[in-house]
Amino acid sequence: MMRRQSNFRLIPRLDIKGPNLIKGVHLEGLRVVGEPSTFAKGYYQQGADEIIFMDAVASLYGRNNLSQIVRRAVEEIFVPITVGGGVRSISDVTDILRAGADKIALNTAAINRPTLIEEIATQFGSQCVVLSVEAKQVGAGKWEALTDGGREKSGLDVVEWVTRAIDLGAGEILLTSVDHEGTRRGFDLPLIRAVSAVASIPLIASGGMGVPEDALSAYEAGADAVAMARVLHYREHSIPSIRRLARSNGLLVRPYE
Amino acid sequence: MNKIPYPKATDLKLFTPDVRVSESKYGLPLRVEYCKRCVISNQRPNSAVEYNHTQSSLKATIFFDEEGVCDACRFAERKLKQIDWDEREHRLIELCNRHRKSDGSYDCIVPGSGGKDSFFASHILKSKYGMHPLTVTWAPHIYTDWGWRNFQSWIHAGHDNYLMTPNGRVHRLLTRLSTELLFHPFQAFMFGQKALAPKMALLFNIPLVFYGENEAEYGNPISDTDSAKRDWSYFTATNQDEVFLGGVNVSDLKSSFGLDQNDLQPYLPADPNRIEENSVEVHYLGYYLRWHPQSCYYYAVEHGGFEASPERTPGTYSKYNSIDDRIDDLHYYTTGVKFGLGRASYDAAQEIRSGDITREEGIALVRRFDHEFPSRFQDELFEYLSLSAKEFPQLLELFEQPLMDREYFDKLANQFRSPHLWQWVNGQWKLRNPI
Repeated sequence: MMRRQSNFRLIPRLDIKGPNLIKGVHLEGLRVVGEPSTFAKGYYQQGADEIIFMDAVASLYGRNNLSQIVRRAVEEIFVPITVGGGVRSISDVTDILRAGADKIALNTAAINRPTLIEEIATQFGSQCVVLSVEAKQVGAGKWEALTDGGREKSGLDVVEWVTRAIDLGAGEILLTSVDHEGTRRGFDLPLIRAVSAVASIPLIASGGMGVPEDALSAYEAGADAVAMARVLHYREHSIPSIRRLARSNGLLVRPYE
Repeated sequence: MNKIPYPKATDLKLFTPDVRVSESKYGLPLRVEYCKRCVISNQRPNSAVEYNHTQSSLKATIFFDEEGVCDACRFAERKLKQIDWDEREHRLIELCNRHRKSDGSYDCIVPGSGGKDSFFASHILKSKYGMHPLTVTWAPHIYTDWGWRNFQSWIHAGHDNYLMTPNGRVHRLLTRLSTELLFHPFQAFMFGQKALAPKMALLFNIPLVFYGENEAEYGNPISDTDSAKRDWSYFTATNQDEVFLGGVNVSDLKSSFGLDQNDLQPYLPADPNRIEENSVEVHYLGYYLRWHPQSCYYYAVEHGGFEASPERTPGTYSKYNSIDDRIDDLHYYTTGVKFGLGRASYDAAQEIRSGDITREEGIALVRRFDHEFPSRFQDELFEYLSLSAKEFPQLLELFEQPLMDREYFDKLANQFRSPHLWQWVNGQWKLRNPI
């Protein structure tokens, strides 16, 4: 497949629980890191191409309270914002987009009722529908899509599910490896390869970023963007250093500094 | 011993929503209250010495103060505000200095499964405090795949280990008996969990044993946390004839079930005289270091590649604690039946006290998961609990139905439900006073 000639994007991912920015390992043992808007603003100033806010436990707790955080964030952040976690209905989408988000990410609700993807795409356009996939390896070259913050099985094969969601109108994929998430051991490259082989839409790789070179490997495996959390939150690496490395390796990245 | 009958039908009249309930099982408080800070109720039994646990045992339960706050939350507050942890660590260093060996021998025993807490305990004793621990493991009933991998990761992160796997035939019989008579399928494991390390200390002449956190952190009388040492009654007994295993007296186990002293040896407590003569000291590392289960998880991931369970444990939301024994699924289901407190209640209460989740989140998790039936390993677990005449020739004189299946288990569960906790509504069991 021909590579798309769009920029390779660097996207900080902020996992939110209640009022806090949090981080786990394998989506478990969630630790409070700090105040989300402070981190988001810092990443914007460092040159983030987009920002993802994800209330990974919204479905687990049966709640949805990100619009407050989004409303506050859009006053200071002027790059596209994706919001996910607990999005269950057209009215949830309306609220989040009105609060200022550019895209919404869907996982649990879409798995429970796949036609929700179609309904949202029809009403608001595919450009704002991100399919969030929590992929757990279940065998060689096989991954299952999980829900509820990596806690519930769906029985769905990741590759089949992505294919179906694209047919229904998803515009982008946020692909999180539960196995690699929070471990800093690099992305799950076979997973990225397997999904990018069937994905005609942009693919954001998430889970496992440890060193800037991991972004290059994700690109080579077929990702159009990388989502990063732990390496940025704990200041192990910075967006400018990752951007420089990407550019010096010939990747198209947004000119920034 | 009398033949164990097929579980009797439950008298549902005792469980109607409007019936006036005037008694409770196990000596539990008749009025259910929840702690104002966490999600535990006043029904939570204190840790008890399992060697005298019988069908008629009454439970002492967690203490709530005049403000409605449980002892475990009060202790969490002490951990945060009162205890001088520098002074405690200093005492740990002194203790280690007294025992540390430089002649190549082991200087302490750390029991554990290779879960996050034992990983932290043995690893930090070795890497930070310069000790030479020998780790000892009392095998789970049935390992989970990830539990086995974590056990291996623990050892190969730098620890020598002895794994004691008790004879499966006896272990299954005791587990069937404890399930049948006490609805406590985890009991056989607990005997070894508490007694193996002190006994290994005698065997190898290594007189210092470190357990992890004190059980009192989860709600035993708060005065129990004043000591670094574990009460001997948990792992010793002067008169072994008064010991009960699976709710059955040792002499009955021998005469009715054909077991001999050698079969029972792994379960029997240590002789307190020998513990005394050999100056064996059993300490809680959690007395000296501020224990935080979530930090142990991070520590174990960082230093040994510990992996969380690939799926949440039935009955709760968590993936990182008590994940190595398949029978754990049933264990917490039975505490839910007997005391109205399932796994999510225990997990959420601990995480609230540790500051990892809020009480509101904890309540949502308890409501969602607490009494979920653990079906994922049920076929294997019921097979494990079913006994065959090949293994026990006198079986049919002892059990009306040696086979255990879901129907049997559900009927048995109902016999252990207390009418002050449960009501039967529209064909379903519901708590009378959920949180």
